[in-house]
Amino acid sequence: MKFDDVLCPFCGCLCDDITVTAEGGRVTGVDNTCLLGTSKFLGDNRLKNPIMRTDDGWKDVTYDEAIASTLDALLEADRPLLYGWSGTHGEAQCIGVHMAELLGAVIDNTSSVCHGPSILAIQEVGHPGCTLGQVKNRADVIIYWGCNPTEAHPRHMSRYTTYADGYFLDNAFRDRTVIVVDVRRTETAELADVFVEIKPGGDYAVLSALRAMVRGRDEMIPDSIAGVSKEQLRHIVEICKNAKFCAVFFGVGLTMTRGKYKNVRNAIELVDELSRHTKATITPMRGHFNVYGSNEVNTWMSGYPYAIDFCRGIAFYNPGETTAVDILARKECDAALIVASDPAAHLPSKCIRHLANIPVVQIDPYPNMTTAFCNLQIPVAVSGIDAEGTAYRMDGVPIRLRKVLETEYPTDTMLLGRIYEAMMEVRGR
Amino acid sequence: MNLSVIWYLREFLSFEWVHKFLFVKTAPLTTPPYFRDYPLLTGKECTHCLACMMICPVPGGIEVLMTREDACHLPVTQSRPPGSDTWNPVIYPGHCIRCGLCVEVCPEGVLMSGRVIEFQFIDNTAFTSTFQLEVDHTLCMRCGNCSIACPVNKEVDPALGGGAPPSSMESVMLVTGGELKILNEDKCTGCKTCETACPNMAIRVVRQVEGIHQEDEEE
Repeated sequence: MKFDDVLCPFCGCLCDDITVTAEGGRVTGVDNTCLLGTSKFLGDNRLKNPIMRTDDGWKDVTYDEAIASTLDALLEADRPLLYGWSGTHGEAQCIGVHMAELLGAVIDNTSSVCHGPSILAIQEVGHPGCTLGQVKNRADVIIYWGCNPTEAHPRHMSRYTTYADGYFLDNAFRDRTVIVVDVRRTETAELADVFVEIKPGGDYAVLSALRAMVRGRDEMIPDSIAGVSKEQLRHIVEICKNAKFCAVFFGVGLTMTRGKYKNVRNAIELVDELSRHTKATITPMRGHFNVYGSNEVNTWMSGYPYAIDFCRGIAFYNPGETTAVDILARKECDAALIVASDPAAHLPSKCIRHLANIPVVQIDPYPNMTTAFCNLQIPVAVSGIDAEGTAYRMDGVPIRLRKVLETEYPTDTMLLGRIYEAMMEVRGR
Repeated sequence: MNLSVIWYLREFLSFEWVHKFLFVKTAPLTTPPYFRDYPLLTGKECTHCLACMMICPVPGGIEVLMTREDACHLPVTQSRPPGSDTWNPVIYPGHCIRCGLCVEVCPEGVLMSGRVIEFQFIDNTAFTSTFQLEVDHTLCMRCGNCSIACPVNKEVDPALGGGAPPSSMESVMLVTGGELKILNEDKCTGCKTCETACPNMAIRVVRQVEGIHQEDEEE
């Protein structure tokens, strides 16, 4: 059976033009997907049932047993951590926030180790953003700063930016100028009209120089900044000022290098500065398909986007103190529920070592690196393949994920809903 | 030793030898008509098809440039008003090896050299070319840049470039069935837009040229 216009639940591009062929309870073919999306749709090796670690190795358990065991682990804990959430749909994320409130837990999502600094910067100076549709139809200058869409968001350039024909750009890639800023010559840099190679850690200085030059303060800029010549900076400023619409995209190369959120703040202020001459916008290249949704859900429910601590009974937010990395590195956390993410692949080793010593329940369809030390793993339906729900694209547009397979696996919403109900019973609410 | 030096002096300083050296009569040096010199312009209009550049076996031997008509000393025609800029092949003698392939391949007869065109007419030979597209699936990210940028795809399926799902299987290439598939190689015009749009050098355009004898084909 063929399904048209299916959403790809892999990266923040959330491509919604996928054709999926499904037969016999399996996805047998996909059209229009990139390499990453294809592997997600065609991926097998899913866990058949919940598995629990015993002294003799893994033991198969039923869902009821798994839920009971999860309840034990979380209700007994003094400082539980609910981490992940970026790879599931919004409805499940809602239950997660309720659960955190009930438990007095810390709830954090993967943005604390990727675009958390972007959110801090946005909280300081705002977000001059726009939808990807505006970029596609209007932007004649595209800047990729500290990101490599070819590897991480393969269809970004063909669907939304460089190569996509827009309403005001018939001959897209010949009319658009692409500037790539990075510390190494990436694959994306091969497609750029201008490639700026910055010395690692030099983003803040280069952004400041660009801001000064946009303001017409050329004379105060030295001949070279972080390995970039003044001549090239002047060239970029000219391109940007003469643009009709300039769209900046930035990645972890800006958020997680020296300067962190100050880099992003500087980039946003550069966009602000450019907007005095032309139209300019800035968009973070979000990784997981619904990490943006996780920030949205957390914000509308608790007031804060990530790293929310409910231990006082009210939402408390202090990145640097309440993110998963801080809680784990200080060895505060004494039980963790991991949902739809793989912290073992991304968190620092100090945090992983602590995670390995505490009860960890993981809710994920596939075995991953976190499986290596979790005590219980519960497989669920995959959002966007056999579960429906809402996801937010990297530009903040919510799109409904479609379901292409019938499944016996519970969805994240169903499983978390059952756990939450059981919790409420135990807590007498 | 001394004797031979004297012998040499006597031989080469003799009036007879010096006279013969200076006033000897040889056949005049003329270029024979069959000599294949650096190609010259015939004055016919260049259509900028670049077939000459593509077949040239040496790097930098020929280039098709926009040149001022006066500079080429070409006759004024209706399509080439006086003082206008026109496309013209420019030969670089330092690089050109005078193989004559550019003369032979030009469909408009813009170039001439020796009897290349004459013999091509007598023998009834020509060149045909096809384009072959090769994809390295281990490098390809299936990003779709090539299929969106391809000018042939834009004509066949105009909505494709705007982000619509493919509506036609007549495109040159499409990301379908989980990989980049070359569907209609014969439609490729060899512009190499796909090659330049590919970040991984996963797609390559190869031009295959074949010399044909047209009489044989008719038989």
